[in-house]
Amino acid sequence: MTKDFSAKIDLILLSAILLLLTIGLFTVYSATYTGHAQSQLYFNRQLIFVAIGLISMLVVAFTPLKLIQRLAYPFYGLSILLLILVFFLGVKGYGAERWLAFGSFKLQPSELAKLATILAVARYLSSPEVDINKFKHLLVTAVLIFLPFLLIAKQPDLGTSLVFLALLIPLLYWAGLNWFILFILISPFFTALFAFNFYAFLIWMFIVVLILIFSRKAVSIMAIIFILHITVGLATPAMWAHLRPYQQQRILTFANPEKDPKGSGYQIIQSKVAIGSGGLWGKGYLNGTQTQLRFLPAQHTDFIFSVIGEEWGFMGVMIVLALFLALLFYLLYLAVLVKSVFSSVALIGILTVLFFHVVVNIGMTIGLAPVTGLPLPFISYGGSFLISTLTMMGCVLNFSMNRFNN
Amino acid sequence: MRELPRRLLERRKYVFIALLFLSFLFLLGGFTKLQLYNTEFYLQKSINNSIRSIEIYPVRGLIKDRNGNILVDNRPSFALSVIPKTVSTQTLSYVIHHLDLDSATVYKRINQNFGFRPVIIARDLLPRDVVDFEERRLEFPGVLTIVEPKRYYMPGVNSPHIFGSIGEVTQVEQLLSPIYKQGDIVGKSGLEKKYDLSLRGTKGLEYKRIDASGKDLGYYDENRNIPPIHGNDLYLYMDYKMQCFAESLFTGRQGALVALDTRNGGVLALVSKPDFDPRSLSGRINPEIWSKLINDPHHPLYSRAIQSTYPPGSTYKLVAALAALQEKIITPHWHAYCPGYYKLGRRIIHCWKVKGHGNIDLLQAIKGSCNVYFYQLGLKIGLDVWTRYSKKFGFGSLTGIDIPNEKPGLVPSIDYFNKLYGEHGWTRGNLANLAIGQGELLVTPLQMAQFAMILANRGIYYKPHLVDHVYDYVDKKMIHFPAAVKYIQGVSEKNYDVVREGMREVVNGGTGWQAKVRGIEMGGKTGTSQNPHGEPHAWFIGFAPFDKPEVAIAVIVENAGSGGGVAAPIARQFLEKYFYGKLLPRPIVKRDSTQAVEETEPLKLDNFNPIPITVPIDSL
Repeated sequence: MTKDFSAKIDLILLSAILLLLTIGLFTVYSATYTGHAQSQLYFNRQLIFVAIGLISMLVVAFTPLKLIQRLAYPFYGLSILLLILVFFLGVKGYGAERWLAFGSFKLQPSELAKLATILAVARYLSSPEVDINKFKHLLVTAVLIFLPFLLIAKQPDLGTSLVFLALLIPLLYWAGLNWFILFILISPFFTALFAFNFYAFLIWMFIVVLILIFSRKAVSIMAIIFILHITVGLATPAMWAHLRPYQQQRILTFANPEKDPKGSGYQIIQSKVAIGSGGLWGKGYLNGTQTQLRFLPAQHTDFIFSVIGEEWGFMGVMIVLALFLALLFYLLYLAVLVKSVFSSVALIGILTVLFFHVVVNIGMTIGLAPVTGLPLPFISYGGSFLISTLTMMGCVLNFSMNRFNN
Repeated sequence: MRELPRRLLERRKYVFIALLFLSFLFLLGGFTKLQLYNTEFYLQKSINNSIRSIEIYPVRGLIKDRNGNILVDNRPSFALSVIPKTVSTQTLSYVIHHLDLDSATVYKRINQNFGFRPVIIARDLLPRDVVDFEERRLEFPGVLTIVEPKRYYMPGVNSPHIFGSIGEVTQVEQLLSPIYKQGDIVGKSGLEKKYDLSLRGTKGLEYKRIDASGKDLGYYDENRNIPPIHGNDLYLYMDYKMQCFAESLFTGRQGALVALDTRNGGVLALVSKPDFDPRSLSGRINPEIWSKLINDPHHPLYSRAIQSTYPPGSTYKLVAALAALQEKIITPHWHAYCPGYYKLGRRIIHCWKVKGHGNIDLLQAIKGSCNVYFYQLGLKIGLDVWTRYSKKFGFGSLTGIDIPNEKPGLVPSIDYFNKLYGEHGWTRGNLANLAIGQGELLVTPLQMAQFAMILANRGIYYKPHLVDHVYDYVDKKMIHFPAAVKYIQGVSEKNYDVVREGMREVVNGGTGWQAKVRGIEMGGKTGTSQNPHGEPHAWFIGFAPFDKPEVAIAVIVENAGSGGGVAAPIARQFLEKYFYGKLLPRPIVKRDSTQAVEETEPLKLDNFNPIPITVPIDSL
């Protein structure tokens, strides 16, 4: 068994995970360090979460792949059920997220739903009768994703819900959606964005027309799509103007939090100060003034990367970024390699979720992304997210071990 | 189970690779900008964030007299300050209500500041308020009591006009001197103002570590703390006992006394009465006392010694005498006849001595303070020469004494008269009046004391100064100021000797006989100056000893009568105290045995209007 274990487990993946977890534990220790013995409370808890997560990871890794595939739909059903339950029994967390309390154990169903949705979509797209380029099948896929998205957005945990939205395009793309449908799906967003500038809108419409002509579809289809774009282009500014000033303000602040130095802007500013003052080599472990004097809000959860930036400097940042990038590339490599379609699509889903979390979270700490409350995988303090991330990694280990199985 | 087309995936993975790369490159760019290019900027910000520098107020320099006796010291007082970032509106309104402060001013102050720097909103708290706020500290987060020094005047110390007062800096003062920060205590008048930069010392800095909630975590780095530097101590030239004595001479009187050391210009005494208790303007000012001070018809806030300008009366005859001698208009032997009156045009003006002085020369005219003699002399000199000599002797300009707000007085000139009365609107009557120290001429007691010093030293004089030296706490040594020696150009010693001789006569049996100190040869001159406020002002100027002068003195007692009768005895008492350390017993003098009688009125001018003159003056 042991020989079997070491021979089969993906050591590259495992070492990347363990390395990131170690960095995470060190950083949580520093972020919650107060010089007293009780300051290890967070660290100790995180240690327990890591242990539970690793066990969960290994259990999933050694579960037969077929079983996982078969359990995908029930698992999805269960998490949707929990998301609905949360409306009636949920407890509000520190942010907008909702928790389900089971005695002293609290669970964030939205974390569970991430993996469940990925597996369910992967299962659906891997079914032999499904052709993603058919409208019916496309619609089912979209519903699978939009259902948890809407439930979570209603909590209202906007940040987490956006992760689901981000899943849609990469999964469809990887499953073989043709580029024209992809274009129809993506282009309206650009139209809405460009609608605020007349010339940009004009140029964009010109490009849209060119692509439509190039597609050589029926004139009626082209006309419908074009009219759709014009409608979106006209409606968006009108809808914007229809919004109340405070609503506009909220959206603008979301896009550019530094405009609001007392609210979310305060976090960004303090985080930038922390990271910027770290310089090339950082201020040293446990020596970050911003961190140790608690100028950083949520420094052990959402803004934990600021702690790394301040105490380890640019070099530390590079190492962590490189580790994440390597992990993501490795997931992509596996997604191409594995024989099973289910595995491949699920890998892209996990890749997307990780990528979205990493880029939005780190981008947020330097003011390049909105403050959404997305934690940093492996590193941020927090049980549900850590365990769900490690469970995903368990799946990845599983796919890696069964890479040649269909 | 279907399979994904391998070739499609091989192609599509590049889109993913590109997206991953671009996103991470985007992040990399962000970190490069923050951590490699703007490190200094953010490092400074993080230091400002966590390290609070707290200004430590230095001890304001003390003021001591020449013997090192402390005159003005400091005592702790309590101020109430708030930290704008921490204090709540509720707490603030309670404090404002409790201490009865003006809420508009308080809010203005707080809004001008921000962050964690405490802003002082009330000073010199009553002890019960201090105890109250200290005991209930936890109920008022963001409210701090701060200890700051307050001026303390030693028992027996008065002289508010010399020391001046201190107070919180105004915006105008801040504009004039950028070194002042809001809330600073600065000198407002007197020595406190003039020597403020020296007295105030240098603020210290303490760096304290604070966390995001503003909690004090102790010193950041004790080696970085800069201790405050004690303000320089001022050592006055005067012996404060003399000043006290001089002030006591004015009990129940209004006026001024200035005594200068003729050897260096040091101020021996500078009295202005009435005055007020300097303690009433130190710290919390009682509005009642304040309004009483500013509404007092006797203007106790005014320093008469340097700010009040008076007609100098007969004391000024010495200027005319010196001018006439130096310009060779007369010799000391030039005689004039005083029948007790003088006809100027259609007017008859009287000498104070109704019987007349008879045929007298210059010395006798000075000794007897003969108006008729000096009318004629003035007319001979002419306004131009008179103005020139007046200015030569320092009249009409500041002496430069080291307390602010000195007044220059007024020396009329031809231009001045032309402007005031029109080109031909003024007459020789004006000139005759000026020659005896009346009319538009205005001088300060300090200028008169300086003039006495000039006469004592035969033209050499020094800038009057109160402060002799300062003790510098940076260099830990005394700093002496170089003496500012000046010399009156173009007046010969011979001529001074004539006038000085006259002044000796004044004291020895002349109008100023009551100024005579037994055993000391001295010179002096009395004056009784008419003024629109009632009784004439009594003047005396003088110096002693005659041959080796040490003291020059000017005394004025407002609306008190004759100079010889009122001012001269005050000068004598001061000089006796100075030379003997005590007052000498007075011999009983029969009034008849001296020729000196008090002076009376000069030419009366109605509202300074020119007098028409018909008789040509050159007939004199």
